[in-house]
Amino acid sequence: CMLCLYFCSELRKHSWSGIPREVRPITWRLLSGYLPVNMERRDLVLKRKRDEYFGFIEQYYHSRTDETYKDTYRQIHIDIPRTNPLIPLFQQPAVQEVFERILFIWAIRHPASGYVQGINDLVTPFFVVFLSEFVEEDVENFDVASLPLDTQRNIEADSFWCMTKLLDGIQDNYTFAQPGIQNKVKALEELVSRIDEDIHNYFKRYEVEYLQFAFRWMNNLLMRELPLRCTIRLWDTYQAEQEGFSHFHLYVCAAFLIEWRKEILSMVDFQGLLMLLQNLPTIHWGNEEVGLLLAEAYRLKYMFADAPNHYKR
Amino acid sequence: MAYAYLFKYIIIGDTGVGKSCLLLQFTDKRFQPVHDLTIGVEFGARMITIDGKQIKLQIWDTAGQESFRSITRSYYRGAAGALLVYDITRRDTFNHLTTWLEDARQHSNSNMVIMLIGNKSDLESRREVKKEEGEAFAREHGLIFMETSAKTASNVEEAFINTAKEIYEKIQEGVFDINNEANGIKIGPQHATTNSTLSGSQGGQQAGGGCC
Repeated sequence: CMLCLYFCSELRKHSWSGIPREVRPITWRLLSGYLPVNMERRDLVLKRKRDEYFGFIEQYYHSRTDETYKDTYRQIHIDIPRTNPLIPLFQQPAVQEVFERILFIWAIRHPASGYVQGINDLVTPFFVVFLSEFVEEDVENFDVASLPLDTQRNIEADSFWCMTKLLDGIQDNYTFAQPGIQNKVKALEELVSRIDEDIHNYFKRYEVEYLQFAFRWMNNLLMRELPLRCTIRLWDTYQAEQEGFSHFHLYVCAAFLIEWRKEILSMVDFQGLLMLLQNLPTIHWGNEEVGLLLAEAYRLKYMFADAPNHYKR
Repeated sequence: MAYAYLFKYIIIGDTGVGKSCLLLQFTDKRFQPVHDLTIGVEFGARMITIDGKQIKLQIWDTAGQESFRSITRSYYRGAAGALLVYDITRRDTFNHLTTWLEDARQHSNSNMVIMLIGNKSDLESRREVKKEEGEAFAREHGLIFMETSAKTASNVEEAFINTAKEIYEKIQEGVFDINNEANGIKIGPQHATTNSTLSGSQGGQQAGGGCC
């Protein structure tokens, strides 16, 4: 309906520059397309989707030890403890079990890609945001087992569905030979060559290839380069953008690279450049830095998106 | 920092065998019990001394998951040395060695030195692969072999350095064409000026921050 469309575009507009913590869970559910805009249908849809997810668990989760799926499960099982190892929340057994279920169910329902390392990271922002609805302050140290079981289950199901929606938009990042990533890294190179010739030529001179550092930027959507709180802020905008996780992300990566211009151009060899590029000092970053990054990405998109040789969607 | 040679390495092997931990122990002399997943490839470097010469090691640490194989394969070419790692507490990681070896041989230059490493030797009580089995596999396939522990640092230095020694010997024997960079070897600026610049240049040991 017209009203819904209007509501949606307004919601996107207001979300672009950051969503307040209190309304972030519901806004993310809406923006991802998981929750319908129509108020009357919301409760019904939520209940149906949550039941559907737990139906999957009942139907498939026991098969994790079967010959067909045991490798997938084993990979997920050894990756979970290595997901955000420094945040106590993710070391809780109850949380690790949630992640195992979400990733296993997603993997066997998407055999074209299956589980690829990096996808494990993509659950965490959803989980933290949906959990934050029930936590007053510090989510990263909260004991999830203290919540009622129903609440835990709802957080799990919602995280699963929102992650699924996200991955639907970037599936070719994870299919055989990862063509989506290869294309995006090439597009990044082409974009940087037009935006900042100095950096581009500097990389050439020292034989730095974009794939050597930007593969991870695409595979993990910059999550490994930024603190989790920054990723959450970034995703407010990604979800407010059309094709945020696929298309706009490219401009964010370009802006992110240019951000370190001075540091890059002060390096004197290949080794220095690579060490810098895979350990960029963002540990102190917060909303302000991400806000500036997004503004610059928006500017780049506006300036360069329609230029010749533009990266084709 | 000046160096006589630069050798490029690649670290390969199944997921979770400790490839990144070996690299971290070698470059930073520390152990991280829960290490982040390696996505695609990651880079590390350190300076070592062999036969009185400074040698710079540039090391590509690869992701073990099958999905990344198309990315990691491109790093074989241009490597002078490979560390092929398995976990002595997980039999399946040993069973997959043949596949890894075929892959490595097919995509690398024929002179690449391969060091077979049985990692996690500190976990003796959980051992599933006997040391003799590792030795036998190495002998059969013409590899060098060591058991290491990235946790206690046992044999980690030796593994990286012995690989370099083997490459160095091959250079002395004229096996490697050192003018072809595709072999993963580069002659440093220091090489032409003999040994006079060597003294006092031991500081490259704690790379990590990209000091050398």
